[in-house]
Order: sequence, then structure tokens, then C-alpha cells
Amino acid sequence: MRRLRPTPLLAAAACAIACAAAEEQSAPPRASNEDGRLSVYVVSEPLRSFAQQIGGDRVEVVFPAPPDVDPAHWSPDAETLAAYQGADLLLANGAGYASWRERATLRRRGLVNTSSGFADRLIEISGSPTHQHGPAGEHSHAETAFTTWLDPRLAAEQARAVSAALERERPEYAEEFQARLGSLEAELAALDARLEQATAGIGAAPILFSHPVYAYFERRYALNGRSLHWEPDAHPDAAAWAELDALLEAHPARLILWEAEPLAQTRGELAARGVRSVVFAPGGNRAPDGESWLERMNANAARLEAVP
Amino acid sequence: MSGPLYLAWRYLARHPIKTAILVASIALIAFLPAGLDSLVDQSAARLTARADSTPLLVGAKGSALDLVLSGLYFESDPPTPVSWSALERVAESGLAEPIPLHLGFRARGHPIVGTSLEYFDFRGLSVAAGRLMAMLGECVVGAGVARELGVSTGDSLLSSPESVFDLAGVYPLRMRVAGILAPSYGPDDRAVFVDVKTAWVIAGLGHGHQDLRSPEAEAAVLSREGERVVANAAVVEYNEITEQNAASFHFHGDRSGHPLSAVIAVPRDEKARVLLMGRFEGGDETVQVVRPAGVMDELLDTVLTVRSYVVAAMRSVAVATLATAALVFMLSLRLRQREVETLVKIGAARGSIAVLLASEVVFVLAAAALVASVLTLAVRHFGDAAIRALLLT
Repeated sequence: MRRLRPTPLLAAAACAIACAAAEEQSAPPRASNEDGRLSVYVVSEPLRSFAQQIGGDRVEVVFPAPPDVDPAHWSPDAETLAAYQGADLLLANGAGYASWRERATLRRRGLVNTSSGFADRLIEISGSPTHQHGPAGEHSHAETAFTTWLDPRLAAEQARAVSAALERERPEYAEEFQARLGSLEAELAALDARLEQATAGIGAAPILFSHPVYAYFERRYALNGRSLHWEPDAHPDAAAWAELDALLEAHPARLILWEAEPLAQTRGELAARGVRSVVFAPGGNRAPDGESWLERMNANAARLEAVP
Repeated sequence: MSGPLYLAWRYLARHPIKTAILVASIALIAFLPAGLDSLVDQSAARLTARADSTPLLVGAKGSALDLVLSGLYFESDPPTPVSWSALERVAESGLAEPIPLHLGFRARGHPIVGTSLEYFDFRGLSVAAGRLMAMLGECVVGAGVARELGVSTGDSLLSSPESVFDLAGVYPLRMRVAGILAPSYGPDDRAVFVDVKTAWVIAGLGHGHQDLRSPEAEAAVLSREGERVVANAAVVEYNEITEQNAASFHFHGDRSGHPLSAVIAVPRDEKARVLLMGRFEGGDETVQVVRPAGVMDELLDTVLTVRSYVVAAMRSVAVATLATAALVFMLSLRLRQREVETLVKIGAARGSIAVLLASEVVFVLAAAALVASVLTLAVRHFGDAAIRALLLT
């Protein structure tokens, strides 16, 4: 037993009464719903889809991001954050997706980073500026590509992480969850095979991406892509077209993938340059028409299959 | 009432000051050891209750008592920090739930405790007004802080600079009060709670500033070489986190190296507790795991030894007081010699006179015993409330 040092001892003796505290050990209960369903909050549509498909009616999955915003860059307000805090499970995508989590106070318990199992396979985006100011020294705000689910094999790993989290919280339904996970894995494997076939024709030919969100898709199917920063609902200015023309000289792409349907004018001008526009929606948020995430992915595959 | 008893009563009533002094001195000397015992027991119980309810504390190797006093009561200087990786080790062991504690900063004299939401569950703290912190830069204040500083939800609280002369040091951060805790009559009442990430912002490990690629920041840029930008001190750093600038806040360096003062580890069960303690044993280990109850028992053993000396001294004083009281009675008897002779002359029996004098002593002793009992009972019943009131003010 260690000997007590006199200085803190005296301080402690002096504050012995002042420091005394009442203990009211009445920890609040976990936030399962009144009907006993597990309260699961998610940060993206793929995770909502996985949790709902695996959890079935044992869970209540909540994805609070409004349908008209990109959940990757959305920030919940304080009220929504309080709801996230009260959830039994918070399924995060990881890889820097939904960066609001870095600035939010969330419970560690119940927080599941569904991409932690393949942290070594995340793609770092090059070109983040390094800067230096003040005594902190040189640093950069390096970013990681976050649309991990566009590689269906990584999506399957995320689905398994979701299932594991549900099983941990509700071990009595583990078999049920496992059975549904099996179905989901089969669907994802079928999607993967379909996309592999659809992209086989592209091969190593140069292609373009309207935004740098296809990194995992590009890697999975060994595509040769370059990313622009073009918005589907905005017509690029002359400088952007000039940049594209310069890029096409070095990278003669005949196909560009869009996150959403581009403006007809943009599509026409691209066609005039011999570049065909195809919509490949990453599906980070809910589809406006209520399509499920897997339906959207299969629709993407169908559009790619239609490319001659 | 029989004659001698009536005469004894009348005598005491005739000399109220002398009687009151005798009763008070005997009552006090009987009450003090018992009352002190009771108060110390109640205080010790409160002190150990917090330690007993904190299963394990993880911190840098060094004084276990300093670690416990800091980690449990937010008193004394913060201990040598450990890195966030210590918390991750606890979490990854699967043996215990870790709760981070970052100490060292103050807001208007009150300790700023950087922690996680699990702390409030663990301590059973509830919010009396507002809500728990949800965003970087928000704080939740204890009931005592709210009362003393007169702050309410929506107000701001500025963290104190580490030193007024440290011009290049940590910038103060304006924190928004998101909620006020219900009184818990302990150290939590006097603390300001923030997310541990907010504590790191105060420590300068994270900050928000102008986007160096934006035209507004051009004046602060010294050089650009490809993706490398060097800015001077003119770059605007934010000292308040708002909805508008929150997205610009970021942390530098590897999270696992960020500092914590201590980690509360809540093991699954007794076996997990022992296993976890074993994981942190070893000569080259820089982290220690202590059982706060054991450390406080050690401290209280010493405090209780001091108490036994005080009680022994009081007992000596009690003997002296009782001897003095006996002397007072004997001197009083001598002064009343003529009164006794008069009683004999008017026919009072010697036995009745002895009963009369003895009754006076018994009345005084009984009154003193009654007063001492009332005081002791009052301390036993109201001591706890008195300590709570003392702690909250």
C-alpha cells in the first residue's frame, strides 16, 4: 500500500467536508421505444436501408436528414442532435462522412462506425491544402473519400457491421437478423456482379465523374476516371468548359457519370464533344420518388448496361 | 413534589445564571465528542460514497491521491495527462466502459470538466433547465455555478486564460450555456461541463479559422506553394463556436495523442475490474489504474486517526470540566454552610438535607444530559442537510 503524501493529505483533510457529495445513482434508462423496438439513428440512406432490412420490425430506424440536402454536408440542429443522443444505436458511415459528428456530443455507447472494419482500405483524397499559421505548425485538413457503399463489397461489410450492432443490442433476435443479413448480402453480391458486368465494357477507357464521389466505385471496377466539380442543376461557365476541353485532350473520355440528371443544355454540350451523360446516383439520401437504395443502385446498373 | 426536591428546584431557580452556566458547560462537553463523531461520520460517508461509486480511475503514474482528488472532486492541480489512447485501451479491452475527464481550465473560478454524455448517466445527474451539451462550444453548468454566477440557459461563459501574461498561450473560448444541472450536493454542482472536444479547443488542439483558400483570408496568407499555404497571425481564429463557423472547427494531430486528465472506467463486473487492473500492471507501464475507494479509505484512516486524537483531547477536557463542576458544587456547599445549619435548627433531618443537595446536582446533570441529547439528535438528523446547504452555497 502506498504511503500518503502529506501535502495532498492536508488539502484533502481540509476539503473533506467541502468535497463530500451526495450520490444519486438513478441512471436514465436507454431509449428503446415504448413498443420495445430498438431506436436506431443513421447518417445515410444506405445505412437506413441496411438497418431496416436487417432489423425488420424489431427496430425503428430514423434518418433525420431532409430529403433535399446532401447528408454528407448536412448538420443537424440541436433538437435533432438531442434525438441522436437518445438513440439506442447511432450507425455512422465513418470515413469522414457526416462530419458534423466531429463537432457534436454523442454517446460513445451505441455509436457504431460501420466502416471501421476496412479502415485500411479507405481512400484518402489527395490535394488537401497544407497550411501553417500560429504555433500549431504545419497541418492539413486531409479528407477521405466517403461514399464507401459504392463498392458493394464494402457495402456488404457495412451491412455486417450493422447486423453485429443489432445482435449486440438484441441478442434474442440474432438468428432473425442473421437470416435477413444473408438475404441482403445476396442482393449486394448480385448488384456487384451486375455492376462488374456493366462496367466491363468501359474497361480502362477514360471516363469522367461530375463530382469526386465515385472513388470506391472507380477502384472496385478498375475504371480510369477523372473528377470534375460540376453540379447537375447548374450550367458550367466558360472557364469550366475550357478546363474540360483541356482535360479531354489528355483524358479523352466518352462517358461522364452524374449524381443526378444534368441540365439538358449541359447534356447537349457534352454530347457535342462526344461525351455521353449517364446518371449514377450515389444514393446517400432518400430518393424523392421513394425508391429503395438497392432499387436505385440497380437502376444505376441498368443505365450503365444501356451504354453501348 | 416532596419538600427537599421542591427546595432544590427553588434553589436552582433562584440562581439561574449559575445553573445555566453549569448546565451549558456540562451539556457541551458531553455533546461535543458525540456531535463531532456524528458529523465526521456523515462527512466521511459522503466522501467515500463518491469514491465507492467510482469503480476505477485511470491516469498517469504518480500520486494516486492527486489523481483521485482531481478526478472525483476536481480539486487540486490536474494530474499529469494521459493520452486518449489510454481510454481506447480501456474501451478495446471490452472489460469496462470508459468515461473521459479533461481538467485544468476554469471559467470564472469554476473548474471546466471535459467529458462525455456517459458521465451524466454514470453520476445520475439530471438537467433542471435546458438540455445537455450537444454541439462543440456548449456547456452545462452545475446548480452551484448557475446560482453563484447568475447564468441561465442561452447565456455565455468565457473560459479563463491559463495566464494573463501568456500572450501566445491558449485563447479563451466563449461557451454557450445549454443547460443547468439539478443540485447534486457535490463537486458536480460547482463545475462547468463541456464535451471533451470543447476542452481540446480551449487547449488549442482544435480551432476554427477562415478558409485560407477564400479571398477574405488573402491578407493573412504569407505564401502559397502548390497545396502548401503559410499564413501569419492575422488569420481570423474564432473564439466562439456558432452555427455559422462551426464547420470550420477542426482538430490537429492524431486523436489518440490528445490529452486526458483521467478516465473513469466502469467495469462490467468484479472479474472484469480485476482483469482490467492487471492489464495496466507492469514496470514500463506509464498508466495506472486506481480504486478510488481504496485511496479514500487510506486517506480517511489518517483523517480518523486525527479525529481520535481530538476526541481524546475532548475527553480530557470533559474530565476537567466535570472536576470543575464538582468543585463548584463543593464550594457552593461550603458557602451554604449557614443555610444548612439553619435547616438543621428548624428541624430538618440530615437525610433530607442530603437529599436536597443531591437533588440539585441531579437536576443540573439531568438538564445537561437532556440538552446534550437534543443537540446530538439534531446533528444526526439535520447534519446531512446542513452539510448539503453548506456545499451548495
